[in-house]
Amino acid sequence: MSKVVEISPTTRHEGHSKLTLKVNDQGIIETGNWCSITPVRGVEKLAVGKTPEQVPKIASRVCGICPIAHNLAATEAMEASIKCEIPKDALMLRHILQLANRLHSIALHDILILPDLYLPGTEVKINPFTAEEPVRTVAKRIQRLREIGQTIGQIAAGDCIHPRNTRVGGMYRNVSEQAKTKMYDLAKEGLPLAKAQMDLMIAILRNYQAREHVDVGGMKVALPKTLGYHNQGYLATHAFYGSSSMDECPSWDIRRFKEVRPWDWYMGEMEVSLEEPRYPIGGTTKMGTKVNPQMEACTGIPMYDGQPVEVGPRARLAVYKGYDEKGTVGQNIAREMEYTDCFYEMFDCLEELNTAGKVVADYIPDGDGTLGWASNEAPRGTDVHLARVKDWKVQYFSMLVPTTWNFATCSAALQGAPWQLAEVIMRGYDPCVSCATHMIVLDEDNKVVAQKLIQ
Amino acid sequence: MLHSEIVIVGCGNPLFGDDGFGPAVIEEMEKLELPDNVTIQDGGAGAPHFIFNFLDPAVTKKLIVVDIADFNAKPGSISRIAGNDLKPGAYVDPHSWDGVDQLCRIKEKIDTTLVMCQPTKVIDKGDAEVDMELSEAVRNAVPKAIQVILETIGVDYGTTINLQERRQPAETCGKAR
Repeated sequence: MSKVVEISPTTRHEGHSKLTLKVNDQGIIETGNWCSITPVRGVEKLAVGKTPEQVPKIASRVCGICPIAHNLAATEAMEASIKCEIPKDALMLRHILQLANRLHSIALHDILILPDLYLPGTEVKINPFTAEEPVRTVAKRIQRLREIGQTIGQIAAGDCIHPRNTRVGGMYRNVSEQAKTKMYDLAKEGLPLAKAQMDLMIAILRNYQAREHVDVGGMKVALPKTLGYHNQGYLATHAFYGSSSMDECPSWDIRRFKEVRPWDWYMGEMEVSLEEPRYPIGGTTKMGTKVNPQMEACTGIPMYDGQPVEVGPRARLAVYKGYDEKGTVGQNIAREMEYTDCFYEMFDCLEELNTAGKVVADYIPDGDGTLGWASNEAPRGTDVHLARVKDWKVQYFSMLVPTTWNFATCSAALQGAPWQLAEVIMRGYDPCVSCATHMIVLDEDNKVVAQKLIQ
Repeated sequence: MLHSEIVIVGCGNPLFGDDGFGPAVIEEMEKLELPDNVTIQDGGAGAPHFIFNFLDPAVTKKLIVVDIADFNAKPGSISRIAGNDLKPGAYVDPHSWDGVDQLCRIKEKIDTTLVMCQPTKVIDKGDAEVDMELSEAVRNAVPKAIQVILETIGVDYGTTINLQERRQPAETCGKAR
């Protein structure tokens, strides 16, 4: 008979989410629901009536981890709506900023997943904060990679958290030749570190994959070879950066997108009937607790061609480079493979960048109310922003954020796994839950039905 | 990171009303002529993992953190707290590193000061209300906070407006915004 177990809150990711799992007598997940419990922000409503310069700044505040992706996607959605083409050198600076941000994010994710993994050849799980070798050297390398990413971002964008150099129509300023050289030097220092870190992480992940059992809170759990497998398909709009043109990027067609209500997708009211006090940290939810993922979930379910899809590093590699490894380990390895790509692409951008070139468009139209969109391949996946600008005022704004796409896909990937490994599968998506929590829900006739939640 | 001897960080999220106090102070300080050894940064909601995490005690000797805090005073009151008075909290989740925890690690190596403002409405974690305006009392406290910061870093008179570096749209732009 099925039992219900709940892990709440989930840990080692940004934001607040939980896993509600219906499991069989062997503890294998029959139905898994991963849902956001971060309160809805309503940022899209706040944007209406503001100027196109203000909205990217607002968008970049929805989360403490991904301001750069949101700032770029929102800025480019405004530009798409007003039909403004930015100079090539401005695009290069934005691209460098985005790659620097991705580099930092991959390194941060290494810290988050290492405690699930083992030192190869031992039964010791990795504590990235230990002062003991060999982990200390690895931790220092991760920290240096994060620092390199943040510093390059700071040079390209004026600030490494909330970029102040970006603007509708391009960038405020180009960088100096000296600043370009500094970015080059940092990238040259970072490439061998990234290569070494990627190789190490792949070895650690392969070692994990080859194990028969893993330990979770003192419980010996059989590790399935199909951990995290799903058949939902992938969505990526660019190998590295992003796009705002259907001609350039035929893989994203807004007419093929629809977002549905969580209460049509998640399980209804149930009672927790399995409790495990040994589960880290602090045990699972108490027996007898009422749970209701349908009503508790704070995001819609985005669909592409009527199905949830996976976005993120594996989706980019699958769509543009023929990568085909399924499962949680395959997903984490795809992320590691983007480490060195960040630097190679950055070298190309730096070579292209002319520090004497103009970085602001000659003419910035006021907008005629056309719907514009821009996708940005954020570290966690496709971040699509939509905007309608008329007479220099934003009439409509919406954010389709990577983790929102991945909630339903990850829920499907939980099926067939031991419940104790549900968080390991979830962490493979490197969730950023705060960003994901925006509720614009359409019914079958594309009418907004969840307005009340955001007003 | 491109930090200097003195680092001033404004923390908070301007989407949550008075929580935007730290970034508002930084925005105002950008207009000031400050010594070369001072870096000012809008930390937003990411200061613990994007800034505190990367400070190098060999370079940075003084850290000033600007934020809101509930210390049972009149809204808009400013309080200066030495880093040594901070108590460590519980470590739960490395992706949402608690700022206080991080500061407790730093304070031993870097002279840390917190400049805090009492908000009109205390914002709890998980508050869903979005409001981009600072309350009047907190908005009026911005100049006072800047005075306290300047005094802390030893700048006697730092309120000169920097006219040279005012940000302007590029000349090639068709229309001034």
